[in-house]
Amino acid sequence: MSPEADVSRAEDERLARFEARIAAGEKIEPGDWMPDEYRRQLIRMISQHAHSEVVGMLPEGAWITRAPSLRRKLILIAKVQDEGGHGQYLYHAAETLGITREEMEAALLEGRAKYSSVFNYPTLTWADVGMIGWLVDGAAIKNQTMLAQCSYGPYSRAMVRICSEETFHHKQGKEMVLAYAHGTPAQRRMAQDALDRWWWPAVMMLGPHDSDSPNTPLLVRWGIKTKTNDQVRQEFIDEHAPELLEAGLRIPDPDLRYDEETGHWVHGPIDWDEFWRVVKGDGPCNAERMAVRRKAHADGAWVREALAAYAARQEREAARAPVEA
Amino acid sequence: MRWEVFKQDAPGRPHQAVGSVHGADAEHALLNARHVFGRRPSAVSVWVVPADRVFSRTAEELEAEAGRGDGTAAPAPAGAARRLFHVFRKASHRRSMTFADHVLDVEAADHASALAEALARASGEPALAWWVVAADDVARSDPADAPSWWEPARDKTYRQQSYYGTVAPQRAREAGR
Repeated sequence: MSPEADVSRAEDERLARFEARIAAGEKIEPGDWMPDEYRRQLIRMISQHAHSEVVGMLPEGAWITRAPSLRRKLILIAKVQDEGGHGQYLYHAAETLGITREEMEAALLEGRAKYSSVFNYPTLTWADVGMIGWLVDGAAIKNQTMLAQCSYGPYSRAMVRICSEETFHHKQGKEMVLAYAHGTPAQRRMAQDALDRWWWPAVMMLGPHDSDSPNTPLLVRWGIKTKTNDQVRQEFIDEHAPELLEAGLRIPDPDLRYDEETGHWVHGPIDWDEFWRVVKGDGPCNAERMAVRRKAHADGAWVREALAAYAARQEREAARAPVEA
Repeated sequence: MRWEVFKQDAPGRPHQAVGSVHGADAEHALLNARHVFGRRPSAVSVWVVPADRVFSRTAEELEAEAGRGDGTAAPAPAGAARRLFHVFRKASHRRSMTFADHVLDVEAADHASALAEALARASGEPALAWWVVAADDVARSDPADAPSWWEPARDKTYRQQSYYGTVAPQRAREAGR
């Protein structure tokens, strides 16, 4: 047998062992062998997820100064702070695969990286803050609960931690929308207006139909995902559609109906042209979100420089200090 | 610079690897670790260690090394000074938000011999991954800071989902119909 054939057979054996480990429910950890494509797909997914958490602070953060009560302000600050923390957990998980935080940050700021389409829609009223918690965090939790089963240990652990924190984000949003839904006529109009604008972006944020996600079969086979986009979307609609209707709100999908036979809610056609337009940079707020991120990064430059200068001076002084006897 | 973070949830519990933060120096890394991992009432202490000072082996790597005959048990140079090492172990594939737990302390000449000693002592116990860090590479949160670092999280009940009543408002709406 030629040396090339030997190498290729060894590769096949390693891949077979890797896939057997995943099939047995084992977690792959940093240091373990993994196919290059597994690493590449994970870096792509985790970094996009991290960017989404960071950019996701912006639509809600804009309302912190305008929260209608101290209670609501404390809740919103805590939620936005959590999203920042979630970005940190995820950048860490991606770093275990060999990419640096600086590379990921540069990709985001230079407009080369994607993040969730949903954060490119504007938050026009206070009711949007509640609707984002209920729908956007509700959709995110469905996705993240699935990803908590991921075969890659660091991503799975970040997702478990994030899910345990996200449940309060979902609950506070639902509580707020329910309060508005049975409030004054003006509050009811605000809640309905927010639902009219956020329903479809929330349905779309779970990603293209399975027929348009060429990566999905491989991602499922390697346990990176355990469900497809359409399966997760179905779970999201099955939970939220009846609750929104129960609250007396109208869902802006004339074709939405409950199918007695399957026990699932059936939704109307999704405007994928809009989805791709927003993902590719032409949504209502893409330019604004990136401008705010870049400004925040530039405004923080002096802090990073001061920290580095202080650390360097401490190190120099420690090197000069006489060694204790 | 990247630092691995180890969080202790309660006195008497082990420090557990929870993730990493960036920091210009140890103090900065500790502060970031507190902000990133201490937002919930389940921390009493954190340790941070420069990520490049963590000696790490998965079960798969140990098996491969044993197969090649270049295991981690290579003897340290005779007369090498012995230091204290913290050894962390991941024991199961169960769903978890933490990685390896601090399981024992070992005096050894270097990281590899500390791991060899830990492996010898842990014979038969399940181990999927090991981390070894020198005790003097660890920066630790100051117990005197505990009241200001960890206790405020306990009063922030709005961070708990149980704080929100979503059933009562719905009932009230139905009652008013």
